[in-house]
Amino acid sequence: MQQFMQGFLQAIDPRAILYLLVGTFSGLIIGTLPGLTATMAVAILTPLTFWLSPNEGLAMLIGVWNSAIFSGGISAILINTPGTPASIASTFDGFALTKKGMAGLALGINVVFSFIGGILGVVALILVGFPLARFALSFGPAEYFTLAIFGLSTMVAVSGKSILKGMISGFIGFSIALVGLDPIFGSERFTFGRMELLSGISFVPVMIGLFGIGEVLSQIFTKSRTTSADAQTVTQIKRVIPTFKEVKDLTPVALLSSLIGVVIGVIPGAGADIAGLVAWDQSRRIAKRPEEYGKGSLEGLAASTTANNACLGGALTTMMALGLPGDAVTAILIGAFIIYGVQPGPIMFRDHASFVYMVITLMMLANVAFLAVGFFFSKVLTKFLSLPQSFIWSTIIILSLVGSYAINNSAFDLMIVFLSGVLGFIFRLLDVPLGPIVLALILGPMAEANMRRALILSGGSFTTFFTRPISLILLILSAASLLTSVIRKRKS
Amino acid sequence: MRRLLVVLSLVLATLLLAAYPDKPITFIIQAAPGGASDMVSRTITAIAQEILKVPINCTNITGAAGAIAMKRLQTSKPDGYTMGYVPVELSMVKALGYADFGPEDFDLLMRIMVIPAALTVRADSPWKTAQQFIEYVKTRPGTVTVGNSGPGSIWHIAALSLEKAAGIKLVHVPFDGAAPAVAALLGGHITAVTVSPTEVKAGVESGQLRILAVMSDERTPLFPDVPTMKELGYDVSIAAWGGLALPKGVDPEVYKTLADAFKKAYDSETFQKFLLDRGMTPAYLDGQKFKEFAIAQYNMFMEFIPKALGK
Repeated sequence: MQQFMQGFLQAIDPRAILYLLVGTFSGLIIGTLPGLTATMAVAILTPLTFWLSPNEGLAMLIGVWNSAIFSGGISAILINTPGTPASIASTFDGFALTKKGMAGLALGINVVFSFIGGILGVVALILVGFPLARFALSFGPAEYFTLAIFGLSTMVAVSGKSILKGMISGFIGFSIALVGLDPIFGSERFTFGRMELLSGISFVPVMIGLFGIGEVLSQIFTKSRTTSADAQTVTQIKRVIPTFKEVKDLTPVALLSSLIGVVIGVIPGAGADIAGLVAWDQSRRIAKRPEEYGKGSLEGLAASTTANNACLGGALTTMMALGLPGDAVTAILIGAFIIYGVQPGPIMFRDHASFVYMVITLMMLANVAFLAVGFFFSKVLTKFLSLPQSFIWSTIIILSLVGSYAINNSAFDLMIVFLSGVLGFIFRLLDVPLGPIVLALILGPMAEANMRRALILSGGSFTTFFTRPISLILLILSAASLLTSVIRKRKS
Repeated sequence: MRRLLVVLSLVLATLLLAAYPDKPITFIIQAAPGGASDMVSRTITAIAQEILKVPINCTNITGAAGAIAMKRLQTSKPDGYTMGYVPVELSMVKALGYADFGPEDFDLLMRIMVIPAALTVRADSPWKTAQQFIEYVKTRPGTVTVGNSGPGSIWHIAALSLEKAAGIKLVHVPFDGAAPAVAALLGGHITAVTVSPTEVKAGVESGQLRILAVMSDERTPLFPDVPTMKELGYDVSIAAWGGLALPKGVDPEVYKTLADAFKKAYDSETFQKFLLDRGMTPAYLDGQKFKEFAIAQYNMFMEFIPKALGK
């Protein structure tokens, strides 16, 4: 109890709160800008924390992390470009809502449900942290492979009207994911002797090209052919704060999505991007109006925004209970903890209990912080949509290019953005969905490397995927998910 | 008149040199933000810029095991305004076939630290010493699984070197980084890992993992009770290391200014504490000795990697 009070008091220290707010504001801006990710924000701020005391430094990092994952949804909703990879699934319904003239409500849902997800994620850490972390360790290569397959079973659901077009999109995604060094042998694949291709094609530039540049090109193209100003509806904002009834109606979906987010967050190597995509598809099973998913469903948007923030509590659980990174950001946070003389891991709960309570309190406060300023910030940003369209387009293009270059200071990545932009434009022209290509890019490498690892461990026998219980359950779930999606497609 | 010009240009040259550094220095980091290379670079440059009185701007350029960044450094202007971090991969990338340069293509400034490879198993496994483990593997060749941080990574080379020195046959399982390999070991999916002691520290301290031996010439300050492979009679010495480098052909005066400033930063209490906190062994070598060391490593990898990996 004394330990708790000590940690709690350190977290609510006025200076810590000040740094938490500095972090929250930086996170809002970085998260909203396409290409600047939460990982990059935390990494760049970490060295600055050397000069701060633990509670101040961690307050800043935790503030940035939570608010950047939340605010990535803002650009997903307003300009159909995920601010960070965690918000990919939020583009599906978020931008559809904007096109319907409901941008304000969509942003409000993003604020409220990012908060709910974030808080539930931390609650899971407090209540079931250790059992969850032990569960994460039972994931070996076979389970990672079947988890990736489960994620990929979403492909039909994100395929839109035509399954064939969805499969083509997915195939292109898998092909791009093949480029680079072989994950097991280290031999070069499709690198054409170019050093830049050895590590494969970076995901974020492809994502920004497909969504940001692709969207702008297609809007310019549509506008030059049609004179009707149907884009005018976009500028309507209406109310931002959702009603109590709306929030209540979305609660079942949010609870399931939080659970999915936490579990995926706990598993090392699977992060908020996967959590958002899986929750978006699986929550449809309990949704009141599943047919609206992808066409501007509040439930679909609530699912993805809840899950990606719930994921953070899960990732932090793995990091604190096992000393292993749950995702890219927690990998950096481990370094920050060590600088403060605290080695993440089970003994941390014994030797540095007050530190643990401080981190948990800061996580809670970070969610409250972005809830408090999120509505106002979102509302201000909607003003952007009422600007002349040529201005919006050029801003998106500049941000996309700057963001992609900033990731790796690589001119090669600019070429990737441009080419993916053209690809995204062609996809929109031919009505080919973007969901499958993104799924394949994220989950393809995970599936391939882990299938081959599992086969090394089993001595080449495929039965390993069926004899291990979690692996078998995931395969059955994948089959069920695939089947129901196909049946649903047939019906409509 | 000509004399005057000569004198003038000499004065000008001296002034220019004396003025170094008079603008920000770009520092290339070959790895993503947050990792060991990045943290070392950002910490030492933050201290060194106070000494040099100019800002040092860090730039992360990732990919191809750092080869892209090192290539950029190698082809930069040798004016002292571009420098960078070089890891053990400086001596490996040519052997791996990723790039066409080696340590001799740079002006090396200093070595900073080393991190040895360590053979680690689960604490509930029957092996208390490295010999017991090696004897066990000898009775079951090609069945014991050992995780590493990726094909061709330094920890993969560590396991391959151990195989050769002990005359055993292991099953190598490459993961995407050291942390997933440690997670697989904790979950009991693999039998051992050959990554750094830093990566397994949390597991060892909580009583879940046991380090059997480190593969450096000297014991690691992080676990002073753990023997080295050499002490146990196996001739293996594999460690990751890191240092600073400049493009080849930097003016000796400029080189000396940088060497002095970074040595001061290295010796600072803040930096020494940082290295030990992160489990790295401080291992300063001046430019000349670092060059000899890196070239020796280069020759060793050029000999070993093509055979071991079939490249």
